[in-house]
Amino acid sequence: MTCHALAAPLPPSADPAPALEEAVRHWWPELPDRWPVLWRDAVPARCAEHRLRAELHRPVGPSGPAFRAVLLRYEDGGAHLVLVAHHAVLAPAALQDIGHVLLGGRPATDLAPPLGTAALPEGPRNPRIDWATGDERAGDRTGVVTVPVPAGAAAAALVLARYENRDPADELPMYAMVLGDTGPPDPTFSHQLPCQSAPFPMTLAPRGATVELHHQLRHIDQESADAFARHLARAHSQLGRRPLAEIELLPREEAELMLASPETAPTPARIDAAFDEAGCRPTAAARIDTASGDRAGRRPTSPARIDAAFDEADCRPTAAARIDAAFDEADCRPTAAARIDTASGDQAGRRPTAPARIDTAFDDQAGRRPTAPALVHDGTTTTYGELRDRAERLAAGLRTAGVRPGDRVGICLERSADLVVSMLAVLKAGAAYVPMDPAHPEERLDRTARDADVRLVVRDTAPYLGATRLDAPCGGTPQDPAYVIHTSGSTGRPKGVVVPHTNVLALLDATREDLGFCAEDTWTLFHSGAFDFSVWEIWGALLTGARLVIVDHWVARSPAEFHDLLVRESVTVLSQTPSAFGQLRAVDRTAKERLPVRLVVLGGEALDTRPLLDWFDRYPEDRCRLVNMYGITETTVHATATTVTRREALAASRSVGRPLPGWSVSVRDERGHVLPPGAVGEIWVGGAGLALGYLGRPELTAERFVTDPYGGGRRYRSGDLGRLRADGSLEHLGRIDSQVKVRGFRIELDEIRAVLLEDPAVTAAAVVLSGDAFEDAAGVRIDAYVVIDGGDTGGVRRRAARLLPDHMLPTTVTGLPALPLTPNGKLDRTRLPAPAAGASVPTAAPVGGLVAVLTEVWEEILGVPVRPDDNFFELGGNSLYAIRLGTALRARGLPPLPLRLLYTTPTVRALSDVLEHA
Amino acid sequence: MNPHSTGRTAPRLSGKVALVTGAARGLGRATAVAFAREDADLMLVDIAADLPGVPYPLGSESQLAHTAGLCREAGAAVLTARADVRDLAAVEAVVKETTARFGRLDVLVNNAGIAAPSGRPAHEIEEHEWQLMLDVDLSGAWRAIRAAGALMVARGSGSIINIASTAGLVGYRHFAGYVAAKHGLIGLTKAVALDYAPRGVRVNAVCPGSVRDDPRVEGRMLAEIARSLDVPVAEHEQTFVRSQPMNALVEPGDVADAALWLASDESRRVTGTVVTVDGGYSAH
Repeated sequence: MTCHALAAPLPPSADPAPALEEAVRHWWPELPDRWPVLWRDAVPARCAEHRLRAELHRPVGPSGPAFRAVLLRYEDGGAHLVLVAHHAVLAPAALQDIGHVLLGGRPATDLAPPLGTAALPEGPRNPRIDWATGDERAGDRTGVVTVPVPAGAAAAALVLARYENRDPADELPMYAMVLGDTGPPDPTFSHQLPCQSAPFPMTLAPRGATVELHHQLRHIDQESADAFARHLARAHSQLGRRPLAEIELLPREEAELMLASPETAPTPARIDAAFDEAGCRPTAAARIDTASGDRAGRRPTSPARIDAAFDEADCRPTAAARIDAAFDEADCRPTAAARIDTASGDQAGRRPTAPARIDTAFDDQAGRRPTAPALVHDGTTTTYGELRDRAERLAAGLRTAGVRPGDRVGICLERSADLVVSMLAVLKAGAAYVPMDPAHPEERLDRTARDADVRLVVRDTAPYLGATRLDAPCGGTPQDPAYVIHTSGSTGRPKGVVVPHTNVLALLDATREDLGFCAEDTWTLFHSGAFDFSVWEIWGALLTGARLVIVDHWVARSPAEFHDLLVRESVTVLSQTPSAFGQLRAVDRTAKERLPVRLVVLGGEALDTRPLLDWFDRYPEDRCRLVNMYGITETTVHATATTVTRREALAASRSVGRPLPGWSVSVRDERGHVLPPGAVGEIWVGGAGLALGYLGRPELTAERFVTDPYGGGRRYRSGDLGRLRADGSLEHLGRIDSQVKVRGFRIELDEIRAVLLEDPAVTAAAVVLSGDAFEDAAGVRIDAYVVIDGGDTGGVRRRAARLLPDHMLPTTVTGLPALPLTPNGKLDRTRLPAPAAGASVPTAAPVGGLVAVLTEVWEEILGVPVRPDDNFFELGGNSLYAIRLGTALRARGLPPLPLRLLYTTPTVRALSDVLEHA
Repeated sequence: MNPHSTGRTAPRLSGKVALVTGAARGLGRATAVAFAREDADLMLVDIAADLPGVPYPLGSESQLAHTAGLCREAGAAVLTARADVRDLAAVEAVVKETTARFGRLDVLVNNAGIAAPSGRPAHEIEEHEWQLMLDVDLSGAWRAIRAAGALMVARGSGSIINIASTAGLVGYRHFAGYVAAKHGLIGLTKAVALDYAPRGVRVNAVCPGSVRDDPRVEGRMLAEIARSLDVPVAEHEQTFVRSQPMNALVEPGDVADAALWLASDESRRVTGTVVTVDGGYSAH
């Protein structure tokens, strides 16, 4: 089929499908079963050039429709719409018209049906051509000759006239075909192939002052084409009455480059130029030019994408040396380097809303849909209108109690509607809320309240709820602090992170479109208010008009009950720490009903992607999206995001993705100098999520929130280790301060942990340093804790011994059924049991009956000797162990153990009493 | 000889379009990815659902999507389709979709198959179990040939590759259904090869021996056979390795390479034959 093709670059958000559908409906109403569809294909960025060319050169088949539309969506955001049509039924001008319609440039009704019903033929149209002849492997190779035309000559007429009167003696190819003049190139389309002539052996396309001769190498060899070109030139010379210049047949590679517009299909030289624009040094650019020719299809529209040229695979020694040299010199020119190495979130196509306050953004939602459900707790629903009214009454009460704009107010409440009402009320009163987890020890709460210098602490809303509502808005600004969340400091003293309203709004702006948040969503409030994951859950739901299901303390600790809740309440957006999600998955595997979730956001700790394969089998990626986010309280919950699929799980990916739009991430050395992609350093975060600082800690604030030496701007030094990957995504590699010294050796505990996790049998691992080097250097040792699935700890250690130097090999490896977690779902180092000793300690004499069974099970689960009056939680028990305990008891045919019972009667003796009398 | 040759070996399937059934994982995935690396474009088909009567999970949608992703990474244009090879209309629709998108179909790999229910002597097999095995492993390949053969014959070129098994060459105790189906598949291969030989379409079979369950392609054949025989996987694997003259299991890539050769023009005079990839197992 003789075909021609067009390609148009598209903005990332454009979708030509509706336009195509409308057009075909209009053009061919009588042929619904043969309407062309829009084929979509996701294309890795590095294959962009290859795939674009392949689609342009892919003829429409003799047995398929005569017109094809393909949308190539590149994974780095760009897209091309490629249109291919049979030449005989759709002239080049008509194809261009269709292109304009699909791009939204003109209405479909503007055009007469561009093809008749013959446009969609079913059978081959040119039976003279045998598809199977010639060398198949040369399939799409096309040679191009450009024949200059004498001034004033009508090229098309000349070619046509000469062709039709061809000299039989020339023995030139019989099947050459002459196309009409397509006129000047249309800038809308990046690529216009007048004809790709497969399997038609040769086509001639007059184009202004030249004639292009396209021939297919498998049908016509170079010499024949050359001869024909000379023949044409002679013909023109005679008709134009003056000789033509020498005609040269272009090599295929050059011809192909000629077909590609420099605007959208950059050759290596184009990347070079882009680097110049970005201010990079030409030597580095020159290196990239030769090191990554196959990457030429990547369009360098953002610094992050330029990074991609420094792929590890490309960094052969010479290239690496050149790049290093470039970066050394870049130190003298900080602004240029920063532009290259700071991965920034993609801003394209996103319009951040104007800075706003949380309370006013909430009021917008409440004003628009006052009767929509806002909160669900224990079967009771609170509407947006009711929530606003209650918050305004409470705000008035807080005012009466002395709260003034700019104050801080502690909120010490369990997860409940009152908790959310209180937060909103504090904001409406113009103050900032300081969440305090009622589960924390009283002394710690006191210290938090003192540190935050709160006006008062709300432990119950009743005393403040008046009859009146707050009469006027507080008059605060979006830059005012919204909340102060305390995080543990390395010194042991919690520090209050002050986050303004506008950051929370920016976080939602950055994610709303990508994650598709809408009023039909149902979220959960699973996390403690003192953990900033709850900021995401609460305001993510309430500022997008969604429904927020509040998860009770006990339900949050029981994966089975939580699973039931998710099904019952049709939760669509679920936020979890990876550890908690692991518990939920374990329950889900055997659950009859599948979860209705469409989005799972994982955050709060490093994600091991490998165990997620089962999840994807049950929840394919197009049914539920799994997004892993990395962030820090100081950067407003999240800073980067990446969608996790089976691919990441199989590859055990550690990527936490690219920065959110408005956020930026770079990796620095100790001096704050930007490190090139691939190098490990400290993660610095900048942009819309930066907190105002630490409350009342100006020195600490100055130390962690610094002015970027590269062109200014504030950055937060996270203390996290990471590296930027070639594609601009970030790998999170643990904490800087997990670096320790043992007998003079500098050791990264996270490296040891990473080695343990590489063991296929190990599903989770923790590594701790014990002993005090000041007391006794020999007493310092590394202890490892692992959760293993098959095998034994001896095998784990033997494998580690093969990978780690002696000084890094853990002295002990202790097997645990699960790692102990803090209430926030992170590893709780303080609750790790004592390391497994060589020989086990003899257990106490059995007491008999249920006590004996319970003791045996506890010992099995906790891995330590248990006496009848030992407290489960003091022995290292936690909610995860509690779940295991329930399972183990069921396995022994004992009655189910309600979790709450274990919390109220946490000793073997007391518990067996209760169970026996139950 | 192309005067502008760059000196690189040209991709072996450049410009070709291949349809692979059972592509979600295992040999289907390995073959699809091998084809993509040689520049083929692909239609990947899998049932992507469990089948009542088969005692182990079949490929999932997510696994099929993952295979597609791997092929795209290799530069291929990819379509995926969920279809059961027991449903002729579905298989025909898949072929039609392939030509609508790519304009051609050059290679058909009949890889979809099941290994169980098995593990019992012939008289203990239920009739519906027998039917199911033949319907998927033998008739499934015929259906795809029926749907794609006419196109290839009309074009005068094409390569059909049936993934059989050493169970198509020799017997295995307690696998009567599977052995019968795979012997049948080799018979089908030879007969259709003669049908199509004058028309330029080649039909061949690949007989893999015991293929290692490579986690990268999420294979589980060996594990499922072990389960059918009620022996521990490791023990079963050891038994198999010992019965291999080359003292090693076949890797999925070994089988994919054989399919790749049959798909490419390097095998242009090869039809009606069986390429056995079993480390010498069936040479005894």
